[in-house]
Amino acid sequence: MSMPLYQLRDVIQEYGGREVLCVPELDLPVGRITGLAGPNGSGKSTLMRLLAFLEIPLRGVVRFAGNGNAGSDCGVRREVSLLTQEPYLLKRSVAANVAYGLKVRGHGPSKERVGHVLEMVGLDPKLFMHRAWYELSGGEAQRVVLAARLVLQPKVLLLDEPTASLDEVSVERIHHAAMAAREQWGTTLVVVSHDMGWLRNMCDEIIHLRGGRIQQPS
Amino acid sequence: MDYLLDGLLQAFVLLFTGNEETYSAVSVTVMVSSLSIVCCLGIGAPLGFLLGHSEFPGRKALRMLTDTMLSFPTVVIGLLVYAMLSSKGPLGGLGLLFTIPGIAVGQTLLGLPIVIAMTASAVENMDARLKPTLRTLGASPRQVLLTTLWEARFHMALAAVAAYGRIVSEIGISMMVGGNIKWHTRTITTAIALETGKGQFAMGIALGLVLLLVAFIVNLSVVGLRRMAER
Repeated sequence: MSMPLYQLRDVIQEYGGREVLCVPELDLPVGRITGLAGPNGSGKSTLMRLLAFLEIPLRGVVRFAGNGNAGSDCGVRREVSLLTQEPYLLKRSVAANVAYGLKVRGHGPSKERVGHVLEMVGLDPKLFMHRAWYELSGGEAQRVVLAARLVLQPKVLLLDEPTASLDEVSVERIHHAAMAAREQWGTTLVVVSHDMGWLRNMCDEIIHLRGGRIQQPS
Repeated sequence: MDYLLDGLLQAFVLLFTGNEETYSAVSVTVMVSSLSIVCCLGIGAPLGFLLGHSEFPGRKALRMLTDTMLSFPTVVIGLLVYAMLSSKGPLGGLGLLFTIPGIAVGQTLLGLPIVIAMTASAVENMDARLKPTLRTLGASPRQVLLTTLWEARFHMALAAVAAYGRIVSEIGISMMVGGNIKWHTRTITTAIALETGKGQFAMGIALGLVLLLVAFIVNLSVVGLRRMAER
């Protein structure tokens, strides 16, 4: 059996002296889609930030492809991309938003790649490529933000409630785009949602969190 | 009232016939205010970013000092800069008194608090989601800093326009440090003061119209930039 992509061991995270997450052991295999479910405040977003290397755990270790606590390593952080609950669009055009991650990696702006990922999320490149950030609806903005992650072809895509307050069409588009990322690039996905039906439909396994602890992997 | 109407008519004649003395004051004003605003932005934007972004001992005191400096009277700045640049002053050897760069030093001190305070406010009020978004897209700390500045560009342009508005309309510094020397350091505001004192309303009104036009453009820019910044 191949080595899991993520290995979490004895991970504890605290905010202001209060324990918000305690994960004695968790492995996430390569290429799988893992769902995270649980009530508000159960530690889902904290776990996502740890997996995205935006935070370092107070105790314990988060191994990525065998490397321990790689949080401060920009190179490892660039293998993972997180779509947060309330995504932020940069004050620039859709194309520039999508291409930002490529730019910081030193790649030139690739119109083809940007166009391809916009199509993946169901936005017509001809219509949307040159639109400004303020000319998008909530659902369109969410899809642009996802396209900005997809264009990086990340090893891991972390989606934190990507469909909250979106219409059915946008939800469907995001689902298809995420599935296409796994099929095309073998991307490993971790998805947080309160919509259990949607999670069951999308994920290979679902992990339940409550009070910062894993309840029952299914 | 006739003399005012006559003055207005003569003002248009001066403006549309390209009167050299009138346009000399306009050109000096453009030169000195441009030099000042470039210095204000070059020094003030990084300082404002540091003040808004970083945590260090004395930060709040510095912030308060900057806010206090916003209402510093121009004649007091003029007095201080004059004292520094005069032959007895510590910078007298530079020979900047009664020169355009000398006025620019004073006007930079006038505009600097505006640029620093407005940049600091812009950075402090940046959306909290920006930094994690940039990090999750793979930006290095340096790239996070540069992108944050770029995201605040409309606020910084607003700061520049506000500082320019204050600089272009001041008189105390230009009069005291520049000396109001015809063809050399006479600006729009000092010329208006002088010509009005001499009873020459035409040139005063002509230059006043130019200044009003500048103020109108500045205010128009402020409205547009504020709208862009709030989007």
